[in-house]
Amino acid sequence: MNLLAIVPLIAILSCSETELASNSETSRNLVRLALNWFPEAEHGGFYAAQVHGYYAASNIEVEILGGGPDAPVIQRVATGSVDFGVTNADDVLYARAQKAPVVAVMAPYQVNPRCIMVHASAGIERIEQIENMTLAMSQRPAFSHYLRWKYAFKGVNIVPYPGNVSQFLADPDFAQQGYIFSEPFVAKSKGGNPRSLLVADIGFNPYASVLIVTENTLKEQADIVRAVVRASIEGWRHYLKDPTETNRHINTLNPEMGMEILAYGAKESKRLVLNEVASQNGLGHMSAERWNTLHNQMQNAELIKGNPDNVSAAFNTQFLK
Amino acid sequence: MNIRKISSQIVPPVFFFALFLFSWYALVEVFAIPPFLLPGPWLVADAVILHGERLLNATLLTAIGSLTGFTLSFVVGFCIALLFSQSRIIERGLYPYAIFLQTVPIVAIAPLIVLWIGYGLQGVVAVSFIISLFPIIANTTAGLTQVDPRLLDLFILNNAGRWQILFKLRVPNAVPNMLTGARISSGLSVIGAIVGEFFAGYGTDDFGLGYLIIQTSGQAKTDYLFACILFCTILGLTIFTAVGLSSHYLLRRWRG
Repeated sequence: MNLLAIVPLIAILSCSETELASNSETSRNLVRLALNWFPEAEHGGFYAAQVHGYYAASNIEVEILGGGPDAPVIQRVATGSVDFGVTNADDVLYARAQKAPVVAVMAPYQVNPRCIMVHASAGIERIEQIENMTLAMSQRPAFSHYLRWKYAFKGVNIVPYPGNVSQFLADPDFAQQGYIFSEPFVAKSKGGNPRSLLVADIGFNPYASVLIVTENTLKEQADIVRAVVRASIEGWRHYLKDPTETNRHINTLNPEMGMEILAYGAKESKRLVLNEVASQNGLGHMSAERWNTLHNQMQNAELIKGNPDNVSAAFNTQFLK
Repeated sequence: MNIRKISSQIVPPVFFFALFLFSWYALVEVFAIPPFLLPGPWLVADAVILHGERLLNATLLTAIGSLTGFTLSFVVGFCIALLFSQSRIIERGLYPYAIFLQTVPIVAIAPLIVLWIGYGLQGVVAVSFIISLFPIIANTTAGLTQVDPRLLDLFILNNAGRWQILFKLRVPNAVPNMLTGARISSGLSVIGAIVGEFFAGYGTDDFGLGYLIIQTSGQAKTDYLFACILFCTILGLTIFTAVGLSSHYLLRRWRG
């Protein structure tokens, strides 16, 4: 089954290869990169690499495709309809468990921006202190299942994530998931006084906005993957230093994201992307230890069946050095 | 019904179902489609067995939500249609807004409904109710108003009062239409309940099919997702069949 499963993928991928080859003959390599959400600060570095010409300098033209809720990034990458994708590490492990041959090649966010947002007035300092209130979390990402598995959440009514902060603002006994530079910013701008508790602080910390390709692309087109990884890293560096021009571009693509919230996102991303580990080992760094931890956490919470082969195949650091 | 008749009704759908299963199996095997794209039927069967209890519980919850929404929409829709049938002005004035119910993007207003009436069963029922209301109103109103003019003349000639015309002529005349509306709404109510569950849920430990659909699609567990969809369709079919059977029974009575 395993071997057989790769056959159509190779067929599909070889199509995109010929496409790439013919493109390189003319001038540039055209590749497509699919995002897991609408264009936002969490994709800033990839846009910066485009806006500031880092991709172009490597003779690559990257077409970035915005996503949204349910954007099937991994499926699109795995079937070869796009060459690159941006997703989170937990999704990569879910995909590997379903035999999707995707590999992470770079991880901008060392610290996952996922947080639980509570009202400051609730006096809650840590996630496990959440009691007797409503907690809105999506069933989609792994973190919500991990939190449910790890903590008792006494008297807590866990409800679906509403996708906005209206419910939060209306109810002082309400907590919800968020990205640390997004929902709390919106809640504050609408008169709320939120406190953000990073999920990473309790030890569940999947790499976020990771760049993925298929095993086949990795093998057959290592040069292009290397070029995109290196340019993306430069893009992220640029974005953390000087995000304004990139943010203006993101703003035109996604007018929902105002310049202020984007600027805040870029500023907050600095400590999440270029933390101590990344400063020492390089931006985009990934370690086997971190991937193993995530795998074990997801296995313990019964989100995936444990399989060490899936972890070692899930990421590749050869372009990060 | 004799055996021959029964088998002539059962054999064709069973045959096509078997053909469908085999084509699905062959497609997955021949093209070696990986499970994250399309799981084979045996993987879906595995998922049904593995998660059977949770799927059954979820189906039961979703059934409660959709049946409550459906019943409410039937009762309220009937009352609104009665009102429409009694006054041309009310019908003309309000009918466009009843159509509004049909065209409103339920996914967009579901979060607002939750904001207004809260999380849990009531939110699920509300969404299911809204989405299944219009077919009842539209069909019942049609049945109540499109009465054979000769019969109406007959009632008037015999000095029948407004209420007598309504309950002895219009309502019986509307029964087939009501049941047509109910059949349409029965399927919609399940869809409504599932959309409602996406946004309202049932609280921490109770999961409907909507919850499982979001979870399994988010986790790329396509086999489990297909199992959820299977249970959704079984639920929809069950409600549809129940309404169909009761309409069969009722219509036989009305038509004598």
